Amino acid sequence: MRIRLKGGRVLDPAHGENAVARDVEFVDGRIVAATREKADAEHELGGAVVMAGGIDLHSHIAGGKMNLARLLMQEDRRAHPEPALPGFSGAACGCGGGRAVPTAHATGCRYAELGYTTVFEPAMLGSNARSAHLEMADIPNLDTGAYLVLGNDDFILRLIKAGAPQEEINAYVGWMLKATQAFAIKIVNPGGINAFKFNARKLDLDEANPHYEVTPRTVLTTLIRAVTELGVPHPIHLHGCNLGVPGNDETTLATIAAAEGRRLHLTHLQFHSYGTEGDRRFSSSAARIAAMVNANPNISVDVGQVMFGQTVTASADYMSQYRNRGLASPKKSIGMDIELDAGCGVVPFEYRDRNFVNALQWAIGLELFLLVEDPWRIFLTTDHPNGGPFTTYPHLIRLLMDRDFRNAQLATLNKTAQAHTLLAQITREYSLEEIAILTRAAPARILGLKDKGHLAPGAVADIAVHEENADREAMFSRAKLVFKNGRLIVRDGEVIDLAPGTTHVVRTDFDTAIESKLDTWFDRAVGLKAKHFRLSDGELRGGRGPTVLNCVGGAS
Amino acid sequence: MNSETGAGAPLVVKDVVCGFCGLGCDDLEVEVAGREVRPRASVCPEAARLLRRLDTGAEAGPASDAVYGRARKLLEAARAPVFAGLGADVDGGRAILDLAARHGGVLDHAVSDGLFANYAAAQRTGWLATTLAEVRNHCDVLLVVGEDPSASFGRFFERALPTDPLFAASRQVIVLGGTLGAAARRQLGAAGVTEIAAEDLTAALSALTQMVAGPAPRGTSFGGAAADALEAAAAALKAAAYAVAVWNAAALEDADLIAERATRLVDALNITTRAGVFPLGGRDNIIGINQLLLWRLGYPLRTAIRGETSEHDSALYATEAALKDADLLVWVSAFRPEPPPAFGGPVIVIGHPDTQFATPPEVFIPVGTPGVDHAGTVFRMDAIVSLPLGALRVATLPSVAEAVRRLEPVR
Ligand code: SF4
Ligand SMILES: [Zn+2]
Repeated sequence: MRIRLKGGRVLDPAHGENAVARDVEFVDGRIVAATREKADAEHELGGAVVMAGGIDLHSHIAGGKMNLARLLMQEDRRAHPEPALPGFSGAACGCGGGRAVPTAHATGCRYAELGYTTVFEPAMLGSNARSAHLEMADIPNLDTGAYLVLGNDDFILRLIKAGAPQEEINAYVGWMLKATQAFAIKIVNPGGINAFKFNARKLDLDEANPHYEVTPRTVLTTLIRAVTELGVPHPIHLHGCNLGVPGNDETTLATIAAAEGRRLHLTHLQFHSYGTEGDRRFSSSAARIAAMVNANPNISVDVGQVMFGQTVTASADYMSQYRNRGLASPKKSIGMDIELDAGCGVVPFEYRDRNFVNALQWAIGLELFLLVEDPWRIFLTTDHPNGGPFTTYPHLIRLLMDRDFRNAQLATLNKTAQAHTLLAQITREYSLEEIAILTRAAPARILGLKDKGHLAPGAVADIAVHEENADREAMFSRAKLVFKNGRLIVRDGEVIDLAPGTTHVVRTDFDTAIESKLDTWFDRAVGLKAKHFRLSDGELRGGRGPTVLNCVGGAS
Repeated sequence: MNSETGAGAPLVVKDVVCGFCGLGCDDLEVEVAGREVRPRASVCPEAARLLRRLDTGAEAGPASDAVYGRARKLLEAARAPVFAGLGADVDGGRAILDLAARHGGVLDHAVSDGLFANYAAAQRTGWLATTLAEVRNHCDVLLVVGEDPSASFGRFFERALPTDPLFAASRQVIVLGGTLGAAARRQLGAAGVTEIAAEDLTAALSALTQMVAGPAPRGTSFGGAAADALEAAAAALKAAAYAVAVWNAAALEDADLIAERATRLVDALNITTRAGVFPLGGRDNIIGINQLLLWRLGYPLRTAIRGETSEHDSALYATEAALKDADLLVWVSAFRPEPPPAFGGPVIVIGHPDTQFATPPEVFIPVGTPGVDHAGTVFRMDAIVSLPLGALRVATLPSVAEAVRRLEPVR
């Protein structure tokens, strides 16, 4: 099937195309060089903007903690019932709804309407991997993948404490990536979730775990080395120590230094950019941190922008979430120590524009967006749903692209917070091209997805078409057309079809000698056989299996 | 699966995964000879009973096309079906959910009373929980509220408190309002056991919780439990490095109150030390089906799909209440021969071939057992870990998913 998009303006920053008037053609799900052959379908775009489908590299869309969040957020679910799906032929699809924690189906549909076609779940626990993959299989219209949470698991902390050689750590990481069908390694509060199980209430970068005497710095550098040597394309995806604690700016700066020039991704940086200046002992350190990010080309970040309104925070960082649970709104929360593996904490939260801290969090996020200079090293996220639901992205894009709009919003916020941010003085406005970098070209590059995030021949035909509109929020709220793998799934902002997605995983070489150790560990400590912990390919995507990226290791 | 065969000898299958009670044992050993399955080792009485298959030649065979046709007619005629039992693996659950989405109807599981007693407490305040591997290695004081867990979860103590933990310096079990049987004692080995008798479990647990949270209530006994015994228990819990509270809501009166008190007790402990609740339950993959509903519909069990929307009400859409307004019961029970509840209207049973009926249902579609006849996924009681069940023999009956997919309208 050959489809041609005519008369669009192509925005493909990966190939330096900035609003180039050209046709885009694809055959059976792959982009091809434009031809004069008769197409099976042609769409006249009338100057609309054509981009690769959006890629979200950090959004909590699947796994046990999201179901716990759904349990806690029944009011949110009731307030956002199933939308009618005009054009979707068939009976009730039983697709669910919800805003802060939408159902699997609603996640796929709402993302598609915004022009996104690939989303990564950034905190999959190994012990919960099967469940996360079952859930991802029920997300239509999106390709997915998941980052495996490591660094709080007792197996690796034992290895590190025992002074195991790096090769053994690498073998374990390689085995775990394969066993859990993961795409990258995430570290959440390195060693801190584990330390909480031994009753530590905080753990700084150089503080020793009370049981293993291993520091977060060691966990971090050990795992950075592991993914580097295994050749995993995405660097360590780090949720650092001291999330949300005023004064964590120092930890964040020290963490960047700890990478010693090696690649490292700092996630939801906004939550880690807090100083202690002023009467309220809470201030923005965005400028200091952005300067350090600018000076260290090995560092990439996503923001985790706070958006006002009701949401729910769900994290593997039980240590931090336990600390924050007094702030829950409504007043209820869930915490869980999990399987010698990690943990989770789910705390409903409402960000209020009249609240000093919340308003300043909002400003800190925007300061980071505007002060980090290289659009290839910063990504557009709200840490869905932790800073706000992903459905607020169009509003966020307008805040970045439209200075008057941004300043008008700022003027309505808590007055003290306004006095504590330099946001009003920042003149930068993101260009459309920069938005395309943040939301598709750069994520594809940092994830190592060579056939995504661009529109050259050979790329997957995941394509979003948006009608030009000076109101950027309106422009990005409803895609004009979205193609998933060449199939038209959205027209005029409405989902008209459901396409099955795939799940991206990486595979590395590793020394299989680790397996007998793991068998013993699982038998004795975990109480579950390693072979039952492990997922087979057939368990993904309803038997269709994963899309595998084979890593080439050896670098160090 | 590891297997050994000798000349003409039955096949010995090791590391069999068990999906019956929700504890998730995955080291069972069974003997398979033709259609016969005989449990051999690492099997609790419940699993032994449910795994054993004899080739009597009298097993129910697969349902005919005519039977499926009758079921389709009943479904099409129904205006308010109830899909209950729901004893199925995740794939079976998916098929049932699709069917319910097509026809509308209420979704509930056979053993959801316990689950919702726990949720009643949890949805008010939330809870701080733990999972099996943490209990195994961290727990130094285990509080059992009510009956011996081994009664419903045969290998509970062997699995939860093995004798060689990584971290726990000692093991102590405090049983409030119950006694441990011989099997439990055997599994516990050297762990210390304290049993505190109580007549009114809720009152006794309330007092214990209050003693932990402070200030201690005044009195010499609470709910029939001696105050000094409760005080000693409170002291042990507070001194624990990692205390865990378990109860089986399905076996308790006032289970919601017990869950609420236990949750509060664990909250209070966590202020100074570490603790977690570990609610027991999870029979016949109720947790897996509940998880599936949460990610597909955004609601737990006891949810009704009507037209294009769904709504949840834990009272209105409980099986018994929902049946009052129903005109069709679709009963699914693949793990065990559990007959449907009494119902005046037509009944479709998608069930275990050995099911005995007081009144024969309008439609009976025998299905294979997950973990015996076909592979499938089930969740453990903690809702975090799920397990791959394997097939032990060649299936002659369809799985729930296969049977239910045949109920979709023929095109
Ligand atoms: S205790 Fe439960 S999971 Fe274990 S063998 Fe018995 S029925 Fe199966
Ligand atoms: Zn996150």
